[in-house]
Order: sequence, then structure tokens, then C-alpha cells
Amino acid sequence: MRLLPLIILFITFLSACTSDDVVKSEKEELLGIFKKITNRSISKDKNVIQSSPFPNSKKWLEQFKQPIILISSPDKKNQATLVSLGNNEERLTWVSSDGISLSYDDGVLIATRGYSQDLLSLRYKKPKKIFSSSYLEYDKTHRYLNGENRYNEIHFKCTGKKMALRSIEIVEYTLMVDRYVETCVSAKHKYVNEYDLLSGTTVVLKSKQWVSPINRYFLTYNLYALQQF
Amino acid sequence: MYLRYLVLSSLTIVLFNLKLIKPLEANEFEDTASLNMYGMPGIIELPSATNLPDGQMSISSTVFGGTIRVNLSFQVLENLTGAFRYARIPGGSYSGYTWDRSFDLHYSLNREKAFVPAIAIGLRDFIGTGIYTGEYLVASKSLGSKLNVSAGIGWGRLAGENRFDNVFGSKSRKGLDVGKGGTFHFGHLFTGNNSPFFSVSYKINEKMKFISELSSDSYHRETSSPKGFTRRSDINLGIKYEVDPTFTLIATWMHGDALGISVNMGINPKNSPYYSGTEPAPMPILQEKYRSQERKLKREILDESQRLLGLDGIELKTMTLFGGTAKVGIINRKYINISQMIGRVVRILSLTTPSDIKEFQINIIDFKSNLFLSEIVVKREIFERSELKFNGPEKLWETVLVSNSKDSFFYGEEDGIERFSWSLYPYIDTSLFDPDDPIRFTVGAELLTKYKFLASTSISGSLRQPIAGTLDDIKRDPKTGLPNVRSDFMYYHRDISSNLFINYLTLDQYLKLSSNLYALVNIGFLELMHAGVRAEVIWKNNKKPYGFGLDIAQVQKRGTDGGFKLKNEHFNTYLASVYYDLQNDWIIKIDGGRYLAGDFGSTISIKRSFNNGWEFGAYATLTDVPFETWGEGSFDKGITIKAPINWFTGKKSRSYANAIIKPITGDGGAKLNLSEENYLYYRVSEYSNKNILDNWTRVFR
Repeated sequence: MRLLPLIILFITFLSACTSDDVVKSEKEELLGIFKKITNRSISKDKNVIQSSPFPNSKKWLEQFKQPIILISSPDKKNQATLVSLGNNEERLTWVSSDGISLSYDDGVLIATRGYSQDLLSLRYKKPKKIFSSSYLEYDKTHRYLNGENRYNEIHFKCTGKKMALRSIEIVEYTLMVDRYVETCVSAKHKYVNEYDLLSGTTVVLKSKQWVSPINRYFLTYNLYALQQF
Repeated sequence: MYLRYLVLSSLTIVLFNLKLIKPLEANEFEDTASLNMYGMPGIIELPSATNLPDGQMSISSTVFGGTIRVNLSFQVLENLTGAFRYARIPGGSYSGYTWDRSFDLHYSLNREKAFVPAIAIGLRDFIGTGIYTGEYLVASKSLGSKLNVSAGIGWGRLAGENRFDNVFGSKSRKGLDVGKGGTFHFGHLFTGNNSPFFSVSYKINEKMKFISELSSDSYHRETSSPKGFTRRSDINLGIKYEVDPTFTLIATWMHGDALGISVNMGINPKNSPYYSGTEPAPMPILQEKYRSQERKLKREILDESQRLLGLDGIELKTMTLFGGTAKVGIINRKYINISQMIGRVVRILSLTTPSDIKEFQINIIDFKSNLFLSEIVVKREIFERSELKFNGPEKLWETVLVSNSKDSFFYGEEDGIERFSWSLYPYIDTSLFDPDDPIRFTVGAELLTKYKFLASTSISGSLRQPIAGTLDDIKRDPKTGLPNVRSDFMYYHRDISSNLFINYLTLDQYLKLSSNLYALVNIGFLELMHAGVRAEVIWKNNKKPYGFGLDIAQVQKRGTDGGFKLKNEHFNTYLASVYYDLQNDWIIKIDGGRYLAGDFGSTISIKRSFNNGWEFGAYATLTDVPFETWGEGSFDKGITIKAPINWFTGKKSRSYANAIIKPITGDGGAKLNLSEENYLYYRVSEYSNKNILDNWTRVFR
């Protein structure tokens, strides 16, 4: 006798449905919370960077018919390609297929979106001025949102230093670059960014930049500089 | 019964453990290790002068020596902690136990400094029967990085052992006339003898603490009952194990006789597991020179805008282009954060509309009523210029205008209104604090349907089929002394039992009398217990932080079988309301007028509203009904909790989980039992200037 209500309840759960897609997605999200707990995957929801072999050939690059950048985890085990969708006063916004966007100003990462602890905006010195100097001291402020949608700003004191000329290899191209190392320190955090500039210019070819206390670093390869259309 | 406890406890643990699986690296706002077995800042049973992080909500449960406590505590302000408790206490008429509700307050007078201890003052069980009533003054100090000591003096229950004369001079404890319970008692506070108490905690490692205390609580009631325990010593010993900042276990040896276990769980609305969210990135701005310069037809612009906004979960219903302005009507069913939604609409319109459009007028249409609620005007050029600027949101806000929409209803094209909608999902109905069975519930299937005759007129209903549960087994009877407008709810559950019933079935007519004046008329079976006519009128200017409302109803009691029958019992109610969104995080609502049972009085509701949608509130209704007539609990009061689902998922969603914890159901101060979405004020004020400004930080998110 007690089994019957349980069976009916189970069928009710299985047959739950609606004519309204929004209601359906809301109910699924609610159910999803419990599923995620079971799978212990709540923090793995948005993994922008997919695990695959590191692409490193001209042939691979030729398949793209529009400008791309490649971002990668520092250990190069995971990466994603992004296409340019936004251009606002020379600031470029690149978007991944799963809805993450990264905005750069002359190679410096100034904003992320859809990346959990997003870099909402950045107060910074013009990159051309920094990259054309051999040594510079300056301030940077990273702006994030806390869980209550209020600003959480981290103020950094930075020093930038141009290092000796070196060669790097990107998708089978060997290029001479000037490495610019930026060291920034705040009361609680410290990061070291590295920018590889096309020798004698302020064009960033490759960089390793710190995003946020949670997301830490990722590498950016500005492959559009090497693409031919 | 124990299976039910197990299931519900597991469910609670699961909900609170959402945070356990996400490592807390940046914002460790939760601190459950500072809770004692009363769910308040303390060590084992005794208080300490520590504080919980602002905004933290904690649920804790304790079992020892026949006592079971479930505590819900909330850090109301940075210095003020409040708790509501439901406890099974040995000694009483329910199988040898008493089930008792109590409220506590703890106020931090001074935070710990290098050479000065933290000092706090607190009241235990200051509303209610007073079984746990006691007051304290306590000081706590860290000695090095591992040792923390607390010492204090207690009154009332905390002066059961090792007593001495009152330091304030009042030697005898003033009598406590609890009457029917549920009322405030102040006359006895800090009177009678007092006792010292001490506690110490030693940090063994990052996860574990050894805890000990010299307790002054005599446990007179518990030790006199065969269901209780024997108090052999003043000393309590224990171990606190902090699994995570959100989850702590306490194992104790109480007074040399009883083993105790406590589980503390905490959640802080300020500490979202998804930080700024994982919703897909918005459409980036493409400057004019990079956009297609091809001239498009208005229809093409509308179609493209609809398609792109649809991808973002926003429904574009109307679009007019005139004199450099694009005026759009949209329905927002996905974004709890209005500023973020506005940002996304502007981004897409700036991509799809011709370059000669300089301004966007965004009119919000309420999905449920088709009412035009609010108009937000954004300058295109300033928006585009501010997109990636550090102070972009602040600069943009200087030029944004928010007002009530001048339009009345979205009438749509012939096929523009989705006329019929339905859903079939499980439901759960609960009833708490019945001493025979403190957690009663029914689960079943609910069919919700809605048919829109016209844009502003619809019929909606809820048909429920109970499947399993215990609500039909409530053994208590209704209260006496007032017409039974609410306290006979058990008759409905008993008679419905496992039969199909109509939860509600109403004809709903919305009206917009002027740009700031909205009205709603419901006719039919308004709720499970009442049928009739109800009308609500509200005045809300979206530029002002306040609003006014009037709610009138003439109702007749429904038959207890949940069908179409009506009883020959007629009631009417009218209540005027004032709403005020304070500049800080608090929202106040004051109602005054005639309640369902014919009593006159007032309800004050206050809630702390977090910017991300979480709300914690409390309300109390006092009417001309004497406490004795109202019965157990003395007057109507409760705690409300509202949790946004997107906080748990990181995805865009407007749905909430709501809970009302109401200690006692009585007839005095009773209102119609309608869901919040039946009240127009909150639907209009969601798009107010204040609400948009409070979240403007997300406009470019």
C-alpha cells in the first residue's frame, strides 16, 4: 500500500512538463542543483579552456578564415580559440564558442566576461607607453564584482622592465621578441605578467597575464598577427 | 517519523553543502565554527563575544540528553546576531517532552583589539515561554594564535549554579508571566542572582579545536525528567571539527553524563559561489565604422533584434524608430538583475539599429499582466563610449533616465499573446511546529494553467493531487474565540486527504489607471480556504523609494473538500499599505486596517534585501484581539527567506525559493494566503530607479 504513492510520485517527477520553455528551464536548473551536488561538479560548469593537444602548426592556423587568438592554461594542457566580435576605440573583444569574452587594449587584457570571477574593468597606463619604455613604475587597479554586485577593487603598484632580445616559436614561426616583464604587488596579491613584443615594436605576440585571484593566469597567443587571408 | 527527519535533514545538508564543493579561496565569508549548540556565537553551550560574518545565515542542530534543538540564526547587522529556535526539551506532556520555540539576540559591544577583549551582551529566549530565558555579559580574548578564552556572568537560566548576588543590585528574579507565550518579556531581564561562566578553546590544527567550559546552567527541568539526563559536573568538554567554513561538527561530553552532537551549517548571501556569474558574455560593441552600412527595412531590424535578444533570453515585443529614438517593448523572463538585462538590450540594439538612432527607450512589459511597468532611456553614444572604461557604469548612469512607462498594456498583434500556458510539476506543502509531529508535509502533483482572454484579462488555476504525506493527520483543533478564518486549516487537509482539489481558480483583471497607478482584481477561488473578490490598487513612482497600496477583499469560506462548495461564512478585509525601500539594504512595509476575522490592527514587515536577490525578513501583526483570545503564540509573526536560484547555479534565472517560518497559525491578524506575485508593488518596484541603480555595476556584465 505504501509503495503505490511512491510509484505515483516517481511517475509525477518523470512526467513533469510544461508548455513554457522558461518554466521548463527554471525547473531543470533547480533539479540541476541537486544533480551537480551528486556529481560534485558545481565549480566545473564553465571550463572555457578545453583539454586537447596544443595546436602548433601553420596548417592548423590556415583553417581559420577570420582573425583568431588562442588562449591557453600556463601548462599548455588546455586551450581555446576565440574570434573577434567587438571593436571599440581600438579595444578588441574576442569571444569563445561557449560564451566567454576577453577584451584587450594593444595586447593588455582589460576585461573578461562569463568567466566566474570576471575582470570587470582595469585602470591602466596606455600599453604603448609602457611597452616603449625600458623601465617604468605605474599603478594598476583591477575591478571585480563581489557576490553582492558591489565593486571589489584591487590596487597594484607595478614595475615594468624590458628584458633582452630572445626568440620564440609560435605555430612553426620563429620570431625575435622583446620580453616585457610586469611585476605588480598589492596588499594581498602579487603577479608577474610577461609580454613578448615583436622585436623593436609594441605589438604583443604572446603574453602571460593574471586575470583574478581565482582565475589566476592564462597565456594569450595573438595569432591574427600571423594569419594570411 | 525518523525516516522523515532523515530525509529532510539530508535535504537541508545537501542545500547548505552547495558551498562545500567549491573551494573558498577569495571570500571566506562563512564561519560556522563560532557557533555554539544554541546556534549563536559561543563555544559549547555558553556564549562568547565573537561575531559571525555580516549576512551569514546558519542552521544548526543539536542532540544530547533527550534535548533536540534546531536553530536558525542570522547575522542581522555587523554587530547583531538573531536566532529562532525550535527545541524538544525533556519534561512535558508530549510523550514526556515539551516542544518550545524561542528567540535570541546577541550584540557585540566591542571588537577584540590587541590588549582589549571582545565584549558582548545577549538575551536568550526573550520571546515565548521563557524555558531557556537568560541574559549574559561576556568577554572573549585570544591569547596567541591557538588559545581563546571567554568569561562572563549570566542571569536567569545562566545563573543556575555557583550563584552570587546580582552585580546590578536586583536580588530576586522578577516573575515571568508568559501568558499564551510568543510575547516580549523585558521586566525580568538582568534580575535575580547571577553566576560566572568560563570557556576555553584550543586550536589543535587548522580543522580541529578542543573546547571546554564551566557551565552555570543547572538544567533543572531536564534533570528532573526521566527523559533527560543526570548533571554530574559543571564541566562540558568537546571537539569542534571544521570541515569547511560552511560546515562544522561538534562532539561533546555534557556535564559528565551525556554525549552531544551538533551540526552547524552556514551560508552567506554575500559570498556567491559563482562570483560575478557564468552567464555567457554579452554581445560586444562594434563601432559604427565596422558595422554594416547597408540600409535595412524596419521589419528586418525588428527581426534581427528579436533573434539576437532571444538568444539572450529577452523577448522583444515592440519596436518603433522615430526621430533618432528607438523605442522598444521587452519582456524579461530571465534576468533577475535588471541592470545587466538593460545593458544587453542596449548592446544588441546598438548593433542592429541604424546609426542615426541616438537614444534607446526601453519599456519593460510584465510577463504575467502585460502591463508596461518602466521606461529606461539610455544614450547610445555614451553607452558605447563607456563600454570598456574603468568608470564606465558611473559615467553612463549620469545620463540614464528611469520612469514609469506611459503606455498601459502590451496588446500585441493577434498572435503576439501566448494565450494558453500550462505546467505539471510536483509540489510540496509543509506545516511546522506541531508537537505531535513537528514537520508535516504533503507532496503531490500540481497542474497550473492560464488562459489570457485579452492582454489584461486572464483566468488562472491550480489543481493539486496529493500523493503522500502527513498533513491530513493533524490532530489539533482550530483556535477558539475568533471566527475561524485560518486556524481551521487542518480540516481542509483532513477532508481533502488524497483527493484532487482546486488550490485556486481566479479571473484576473489588471488595470493601469495612470502611469503610477496600477490595479488588480481577482474573482473566484482565491486560495484553498477563501473564495470571493479581491482588489488591489498601488501607487508607485519608480523615481521614488516609497509606494502606497490598498487591498480590499470580500470573501466566503470554501468547503473543506477543496471543490466548488462554499460555506455560509462571509468575511471582508481592507488593508492600506506603505512601502519604503530604505537607502541601505532594508525594505519596510506597514499595513493597517481590518483583517479577515474582523479585527483591526497593523502589520510591520522588515526585510534585509541583498543586491543579488536574497532576502531575510520578519513580520509581526498586532491587532485589537487580546493575546489571551488569540491563543498560543499571542499574535501573528513569522520569518521570511527568499533565495534566488541563480545564486546557486551562476546562470541567468528569475526564479526564487521562498520560505515562511510561522511559529503558530491563528485567526487574529489573518490575511488572504496569496503568493507574492499576486501583489503588484513588488513587480513594479523591481524596475524602480533604486533597484536599477543598486545593481548598475552589472550593466556591462
